[in-house]
Amino acid sequence: MTEEKNGLVLRGHVGIGPGVRGVALSAADDFSARYDLDRDRGVVSRPQHKLYGENYIGKILVLNAAKGGVASAWMLRDMVLAGKAPLALLLNNANPVMAQGAAFADLPFIDRFETDITQAIRTGDVVYVDPTNGCVRIEQKV
Amino acid sequence: MADGAHGEAARWGIEYQQRVGAFFDAEDFAPIRVVHVSTDRETMGDTGVAFIRELVDMAPEQRRPRAFAVADFRGFDEETFKFLLPGRDLAAQSEEAVAALAQLGVSTSHAYVNDHSVTAPAFGEACGYSGTPSVIYMNGLVGARCNFEAGPSSLAAFFTGRVPRYGFHLDDSRRATHAYRLDFNPNNVAEWGAVGAIIGRKLNSYWSVPALEIPDKSAAVLSLNHMALNLASYGSIAMFHVIGVTPEARDWTDAFGGPAPTPEVLTQADVDEFLDSWGGTGEKLDVVALSTPQLTITELVEIAALLDGNRVHSDTALLVYAPREIKAAAERIGVAQQIEAAGGRMVHGHDFFATFAKEIRESHNWDRLMTHSVKVANICAGYGYRPRPASIEQCVKSAIAGKVLP
Repeated sequence: MTEEKNGLVLRGHVGIGPGVRGVALSAADDFSARYDLDRDRGVVSRPQHKLYGENYIGKILVLNAAKGGVASAWMLRDMVLAGKAPLALLLNNANPVMAQGAAFADLPFIDRFETDITQAIRTGDVVYVDPTNGCVRIEQKV
Repeated sequence: MADGAHGEAARWGIEYQQRVGAFFDAEDFAPIRVVHVSTDRETMGDTGVAFIRELVDMAPEQRRPRAFAVADFRGFDEETFKFLLPGRDLAAQSEEAVAALAQLGVSTSHAYVNDHSVTAPAFGEACGYSGTPSVIYMNGLVGARCNFEAGPSSLAAFFTGRVPRYGFHLDDSRRATHAYRLDFNPNNVAEWGAVGAIIGRKLNSYWSVPALEIPDKSAAVLSLNHMALNLASYGSIAMFHVIGVTPEARDWTDAFGGPAPTPEVLTQADVDEFLDSWGGTGEKLDVVALSTPQLTITELVEIAALLDGNRVHSDTALLVYAPREIKAAAERIGVAQQIEAAGGRMVHGHDFFATFAKEIRESHNWDRLMTHSVKVANICAGYGYRPRPASIEQCVKSAIAGKVLP
């Protein structure tokens, strides 16, 4: 983590998709489009999930690890085309499915940060996601 | 390939694979012969079907295959879906996608976990499999080499004849990272599934590789499959070893590529605690879904025997999923008729969780679900059900009683 002129910068691995700016929705929990989401309503639908009931559409979704099966790869693009997707996805640890889904959907996605991303970014923070350079800048803390 | 000289589909595929490969620092590609494309209709969505139509609309020379591909699309059991989701013509939607895949040259299978029905890759062979149960099966039990290659990713491999070489294509990634020992023999596939779920939750990383010592090295492939697919479901795990059983784990040293750590012991109490944690004992039971993987003929025989002389409770639906070919085999020996005469519904051609389970719940106002598949419990909890995993025997007896039996 480095403090720069425009905010705190968190470095991860080079990611996928275009750069975007948005408001974070963050929790120390995992992510699967199939297991956790009501994709029609755009809310987290698994009762045990720490973001249960939260609307993720247009948010920078910040979670721990990708979980579950191959469904997310088709689903992320379907969600993007339906206008019911997060604006970007940040995980501590991806699996291939999530990277393949992000590449298929052109959804901004970064993982493998130098610090626990779910602790560094809090819900409500305004962040800039820069997949090309593999970094996230926290521009405004809640 | 990237300049389009091998056709537009290959150009798309290689560009896509380069993006994914760069994400995981792949240095090159591994050639593949066999591809498995995951194409559940629900998962693909209308946009996925439209994407395949776009590929079909290319001139044949622009979309020439470079691998053999099988899809587990399977279609819908038209008769059963008149009950499960009345008013929706899912069979027609299914046919549209199956036809498009066929035009690409992708053969379609009616099995779900097709590791039991499609010729497997050989030991050490790179492949492009899609379904997570199939991938972990290929890596762990067959010794083939594969990452999760999700639907679009395996389609890319179909056109390029290769996959990015990272993860479980590399020797170092395949070695065990964590050691476990079972001090009991699981009694049924639900308990084997629970073992996979417990380890999966503990590790929770695609890059973790558990090695497991079990007391009975003659454990059935189906049992190990239930364990494996729940490692994948609960932990996104794609590789595992069973000491003295799987091909890259002749012993602990073989599995770890050196000295192994002291294994963590899992007990019967751990498994009981996991299964009991889902609750529901004594509650009204709305639906029993026996699927994932679809059932074998021996499981159908077991269900028919449990139903003999009994009848499924009028407030409970008993859904028994089998591949179309297995259902036909069960009909030939009278087992399917026995199940249906007792009030069960034989379902072919698809799987419960992957075919609009949320909409089915809403359509029937279902709440409490029982299943022998710990994976179904995991997924359907996100679809608003209150699941309870248990043995096939416990599930069927509960269906007869109309409530969750202990």
